[in-house]
Amino acid sequence: MKTTMQDKLSILAGSAKYDVSCSSSGSENNYKTGELGCAHNSGICHSFTSDGRCVSLLKVLLTNVCIYDCAYCINRVSNDIPRAAFSPRELADLTINFYKRNYIEGLFLSSGIIKNEDHTMSLLLQTLRILRHEYRFNGYIHVKLIPGASKELIEEATLLAHRVSSNIELPSSKSLALLAPDKTKEKLLSPLKHARDITMQRSAKPISMSTQMIIGATGESDFEILKLSSSLYQKALLKRVYYSAYIAVNNHKHLPVPELSKPPLLREHRLYQADWLLRFYGFSYDEILSENQNLDIQFDPKTFWALSNLHHFPIDVNKAPQEILVRIPGIGIRGALKILQARRFKQLCFEDLVKLKISLKKARYFIIAGKDFHRSMSLYEEKIKLALIHQGSNVIQPTLFDTSIYTGEL
Amino acid sequence: MILLYDGSFEGFLSLVYEVYYEKLSVDAIVKEMPQTLLFERFHEVFTDEANARKVLEAITKHFTKEQQRTLCNIFLCDTREHEMALLEYIRIGFKNPKELRNITNANLFYIQNLEKELLSLVHKMYGFTRFEELDDGTLYAKIETKFNIMPFLGDHFAKRLGNIPFIIHDIKRSLAFIKNDEMREIRSIASFDAPIYSDEEEKFKALWKTFFKSAAVESRYNPKLQKSWVPLLYRTYMSEFE
Ligand code: SF4
Repeated sequence: MKTTMQDKLSILAGSAKYDVSCSSSGSENNYKTGELGCAHNSGICHSFTSDGRCVSLLKVLLTNVCIYDCAYCINRVSNDIPRAAFSPRELADLTINFYKRNYIEGLFLSSGIIKNEDHTMSLLLQTLRILRHEYRFNGYIHVKLIPGASKELIEEATLLAHRVSSNIELPSSKSLALLAPDKTKEKLLSPLKHARDITMQRSAKPISMSTQMIIGATGESDFEILKLSSSLYQKALLKRVYYSAYIAVNNHKHLPVPELSKPPLLREHRLYQADWLLRFYGFSYDEILSENQNLDIQFDPKTFWALSNLHHFPIDVNKAPQEILVRIPGIGIRGALKILQARRFKQLCFEDLVKLKISLKKARYFIIAGKDFHRSMSLYEEKIKLALIHQGSNVIQPTLFDTSIYTGEL
Repeated sequence: MILLYDGSFEGFLSLVYEVYYEKLSVDAIVKEMPQTLLFERFHEVFTDEANARKVLEAITKHFTKEQQRTLCNIFLCDTREHEMALLEYIRIGFKNPKELRNITNANLFYIQNLEKELLSLVHKMYGFTRFEELDDGTLYAKIETKFNIMPFLGDHFAKRLGNIPFIIHDIKRSLAFIKNDEMREIRSIASFDAPIYSDEEEKFKALWKTFFKSAAVESRYNPKLQKSWVPLLYRTYMSEFE
């Protein structure tokens, strides 16, 4: 095992980086006078790494030693890689020192399975205890619940953390059986159910929970994936599902070959867009896709939906309620709110919308604003498609397309 | 008519007072005497505390808390023209406060957007501000920001840092928010001795850089996206970008 803190940090941050189920948003302000740390209700990014992802939490594994051999995982026991482990105290001290300097919002703590599940969960718990009880640290803590650990340990960790998660990893039981035979969907979700129940006993609000699914390692369609997400949201089990484009790190007969595959970033992006439609725009998964379909590559999911449902259009921006306004391609929640605010004072036309900095690039084909509508084009799917393609709105900017994961404006 | 005032909040309130009581018609408001004056009429407003207080009282009575906050926030956008829009905001507010939500009025839309810009800067700096530990345990941060966001940062970090004394130093405006056992206030500072850092400072900076490097996924390398989130001008005091 390596010994210097530099080495440990480099190994244990490196092995945690593929986990994306990490943000610090959605927790209450909770500061106590004279104590260190306070969570903020809209997540704060402290930096952005060279892949353009937000750094909010000190995201590390306690150890990358693992007794299991999940096919897709860099830390599986059969891989010959450098291994390291923090002691709970080392990690707690590092967290405090990073937090004081405002490098981070808090800690995101996960771990490979060392010895057994209970032993691993106890080590995580020890770190949390030092932070919360000894250092009286109130900053954000997200901890992975180790599936298979005892209920008492899960319970204590849940009560000390802001958010807990357990990754369902793959979108179907069949794939799990193939690639991670030690795991089942039930086993992976059981600590989350337990965490929900014990926090519900104590207050009306369950603890915030999330999960991550790996996309593109196995053959599920986007329809299956969205259906699964939607059922997890509906059971009020999860606050967020994160999608992680599979990065081939291992050779395995059931997995894409590392040398020949690239992470499916565009697909991941479309899934995040569709996920926003589920959570904030009032869409249901079967409106977005039909059985076994994948999300369209050329058009974002909302535009794609609009094109296949032209009988709902054009929409009158001076009359439609918010939940209808947000269904217009190119108009997001912010745009809809501006329209609602402005139309109390006057009947809006195209020019007014432009003045309000609402882009009509896509929207113009789908709306009526006073006397204005897009005259030269009647509502035919093919014509609008051509027009959208012609003006280049389908061209995905590969450098910037990750942005909407955070803003969700479609 | 062109009005000149000293750039302070009290000065601006005194200006509002004169506009109302002298019934001035205003074409522009400036903080410095223009180089060339052609044929415009010109008037200098002197800050008058009594007048300023009267205007402030009237504003407190007529405007909601949220609208008062907007007024103060806009005034913090000190590097952007805002006086004419603000004057319009106050005028409309006195006439009919409901009308202040009318974003089809160009001035009011300008104010709404400027305030959003300020708040988004504040939010960014909640994350991008970096403290360094001094040898006496005080945390010290340098910032250079386009608007004056010191009041926001001071409050924010006072909540987070518990009993640890800290200083946030706005380099360009020569202001510092100082919080320790004895005080919690914004001061203007004339000079500042080069700080002496704690022995551990370099170690943690190096660990932070290591973490920052290790957390990036190579196969998703995307410096353009990174730059759109952290434009170069924010990077001056962020050690991971050195
Ligand atoms: S249990 Fe977790 S760390 Fe261990 S191999 Fe499986 S996915 Fe990787």
